[in-house]
Amino acid sequence: MSSEALSRAVAAPIERAAPRKRRRRRPSAWHLLLAPLALIFIFPFIQMVFASFMTTREINAYPPALFPHHPSLEGYRKVLQQSDFGTWFVNSVIVTSVAVASQLLLCPIAGYAFARMRFIGTRVLQLLLLTTVFIPPQLLMIPVYKMYAALGIVGTIPSLFLPWMASAISIFLMRQFFVRLPKEIEEAAMIDGCSRLGVFVRVLLPLMRPALATIALLTVLNAWNDFLWPLISITDTSKYTLQLGLLTYQGQHHTEWAAVMATNVMVTLPLLVVFLLGQRHFVKSLTFSAVKG
Amino acid sequence: MAAVARRQVRPPAWRRALPENLTAWSFVLPASVLVLGLGFFPVIWSFLLSTKSSNGFGPEHGVGLANYRELAHDAEWLAAVKRSLEFTALYVPVTVLLGLGLALLLNQKIRFIGFYRTCFFVPFVASAAATGVIFLYVLDPQYGIVDNVIAWMGLSRQQFLDDPDQALFLLAPIYTWTAVGFDILIYLAALQDVPQDQHEAARIDGAGRFAVFWHVILPAVRPITVLAVVWETINALQFFDIAWATKRGGPIDATTVIIVYGYKLGFVDGEQGLGAAVACVLFVAIVLLVVMQVGYARWRKLDVV
Amino acid sequence: MVQFNKTHPGIVVNDQLGSNGDEMVQKLQAVIGSDNYPDIAYVYGSDVPNVSQSSKVVDISKDIKATGFDWNSLYPAGRETATVGTKVVGFPAVIDNLAVVYNTKLFKAAGVAPPKASWTWSDFRAIAKKLTNASKDVIGTGFPISGSEDTTWRLWPMIWQQGGEVLDKSNKKALFAGPQGVKALQLLSDMALKDKSLYPDQTPDTQKMYGLFDSGKMAMIVTGPWQLPDIQDHHVPYGVQVLPAYGTSHETISGPDVYMVFNHSDARRKAAVTFLAWLHQPAQDLQWDIGSGNLPLSSKTAALPGIAQFDKKYVGIDLFVKNLSNAHHIRPPVTGYTQVSVAVGKAIATSLLGRGSPKDTLAQAAKAADKALS
Repeated sequence: MSSEALSRAVAAPIERAAPRKRRRRRPSAWHLLLAPLALIFIFPFIQMVFASFMTTREINAYPPALFPHHPSLEGYRKVLQQSDFGTWFVNSVIVTSVAVASQLLLCPIAGYAFARMRFIGTRVLQLLLLTTVFIPPQLLMIPVYKMYAALGIVGTIPSLFLPWMASAISIFLMRQFFVRLPKEIEEAAMIDGCSRLGVFVRVLLPLMRPALATIALLTVLNAWNDFLWPLISITDTSKYTLQLGLLTYQGQHHTEWAAVMATNVMVTLPLLVVFLLGQRHFVKSLTFSAVKG
Repeated sequence: MAAVARRQVRPPAWRRALPENLTAWSFVLPASVLVLGLGFFPVIWSFLLSTKSSNGFGPEHGVGLANYRELAHDAEWLAAVKRSLEFTALYVPVTVLLGLGLALLLNQKIRFIGFYRTCFFVPFVASAAATGVIFLYVLDPQYGIVDNVIAWMGLSRQQFLDDPDQALFLLAPIYTWTAVGFDILIYLAALQDVPQDQHEAARIDGAGRFAVFWHVILPAVRPITVLAVVWETINALQFFDIAWATKRGGPIDATTVIIVYGYKLGFVDGEQGLGAAVACVLFVAIVLLVVMQVGYARWRKLDVV
Repeated sequence: MVQFNKTHPGIVVNDQLGSNGDEMVQKLQAVIGSDNYPDIAYVYGSDVPNVSQSSKVVDISKDIKATGFDWNSLYPAGRETATVGTKVVGFPAVIDNLAVVYNTKLFKAAGVAPPKASWTWSDFRAIAKKLTNASKDVIGTGFPISGSEDTTWRLWPMIWQQGGEVLDKSNKKALFAGPQGVKALQLLSDMALKDKSLYPDQTPDTQKMYGLFDSGKMAMIVTGPWQLPDIQDHHVPYGVQVLPAYGTSHETISGPDVYMVFNHSDARRKAAVTFLAWLHQPAQDLQWDIGSGNLPLSSKTAALPGIAQFDKKYVGIDLFVKNLSNAHHIRPPVTGYTQVSVAVGKAIATSLLGRGSPKDTLAQAAKAADKALS
């Protein structure tokens, strides 16, 4: 990416911030750059969508076809009619929702405490939490399993959302956010007689939206796409999540590709929708009018 | 009437700090218990496992640090480490810089920007298995679109993922493709944070666009850059899913990076003790690396921790 | 499952999905430490010795006798793989063997006669060369080099045919790097590198090789009966022939997988054995085989009149059934086998990619194997 392009990217919002006569915005030249790049990024997904409308035989053929020559709903039919898709979907939704709710409750306050409050053990605790980020998950499956077994929750839905109910990354993202937030806002509120908790809820919460949205999104992603752990923990087919359901189409010698592609599409779409709706929150600008005013 | 001022007995310092401490701990406790209990504890267990010789089924016997000694002399382990380092060196700068660049591009109020942002996020959302399948097709030496384009341009077809010399270095951009969404996200959030007044002041002073970028934006997002570099380094060293899904560590071990090697040791060769040792070594290495990176950032006063 | 539950009150069999074969071992390792392990698990033959080391795997031969099931009616390869040392650890699940499936249309188009039952590896090489047509994008044959067991086990019959062995009698020393192994690998290597008539397939699960055959882009493949349903699905006109020979031996390899039984309690174990014994009765066996294309597990099943329906549905499968009598050796049932397999797999892949001579790569693999077996 050329520095010219970068500086233009930077300058654009500034120019609009400056007051100027309203005139109809021409389609921006940025589309010329963004569109091809975006295409490269989503091309594989598009291919997957096309493949989901092919038959398994067509997918397996060499040379591989790009467009389905005989579009068929074989994959979707197999998945929606012949399998427990509904159950899997519900399970995935439950796991993900509980995980997100928990993260939004527990992590911001932890991050706030680390950022703003001085207390005994803060350094040590942060260090310990940080180390959990470095753990390679694949190699720890067996100790993790033995632990859950000891707790008696193996094979249950709670065992699926438990790992995602809080994460060091969320805590540190929130902490980072608070560190960068000017102290004046809180101090002003406290002078006005707010308690710590009150400050938190009434003043900071609205400002936290981009950070909260980020945490929520990451949690949704992780919980929704989690595969290895549910594979090891769950044996009861009624507790399958979508990712495990995908597995049922892959036999030892034969894979139902049409069903796999269809499922992949249906598994990925909700995530994209969530992102599309939520991405506005990532870029809400912080107004510091409270400070300036 | 003036009251006689009573001498106030100040409670000792720790007493005064108690409410603050209690509040703080009540804030951090729930999250910490979950994270440490479910995350940290298995590490200890894994370390214990690494001191044993076990194949996961038969009886275990303790061997102390013999596994680590064996690892130190293992040529394949050293080769895996080398590959991981090469991979990291290629992957991290590209991903972080691309993340920043794309975030800047996406930080505008043009039409469809929401759609564009979603586009760049799509790969992040796809599972490793799906990604693997897709790229095996795209980079197929006979039928893949990339090689067909290359051939059409008159250059010789490349073997790509089938070539032991090229495979690892192709996995880096593939991984970037899936992972850059995260960096875009955090940079986007940070760019919202850049103080508008500094922007305007610089512009009013007549600073060129590039100067604004270099002197205003870049410093403002430096903490995020540190975060991104640390995060992607960890990701690079822990790289596994796509390597396994596409080539299972092949061709001829070309994509066997550290975790692939550990996985093979533990679950294919049945050497669980060695596999656990790999996990512990990697864990320690990452901790050290991050400490170094953060220490460097602090030394340069980059306002991270 | 439903059938069994109906006819055997008192025993309920639950269908639980474990995982696919590759991940099965990992999952078993995780669950066997707790109480959640299954009663029966489908395990790859090559993993059986390792899994058998668990204390939860016990000898079930007494239980089998108690059900009155004729253990010896099962084909020897199946029985042997389900027996580790003196312990019988399960029932054979799927039995198979390797033979050659070829595309009759491509043969006709190239004017080549279909392979005779007495053909040799030199014939194989010559035919592959003739059928390779770069301009039409057709290649003679292929060989998986993903490094999994599918890579390695294909070399063994070629060694056995020449009178060689994989390991020595004590199962502690590798013999596959001897002249027989080198000759076999050299043939494959020459076909891949010199003739360019053999496609080294790197994909996991050998997907691409089979995909090419199914699309009519590969003339011959060495494969097993499991592939027939797919081939039929793709409407490929095919024929089946035994493996080519070194000399006069068309020996093949059979790679049974095993339904391993895990011990929870006497009652559960006995119930598990009862279920498996029922499943292996000729009537049920045949039913299963017709549905899935698997080979019959016992000669009794093959003798059933219903077998004609089976043969009709899967053209050529009768040859696979007969070919079972060509399987004389089994893979060495040692706990270090997986490491041997990986070492040899690497040797094959390296040779076929032109990065090492068969002699050198096999010698290296032998060293690694000796170490693993010690």
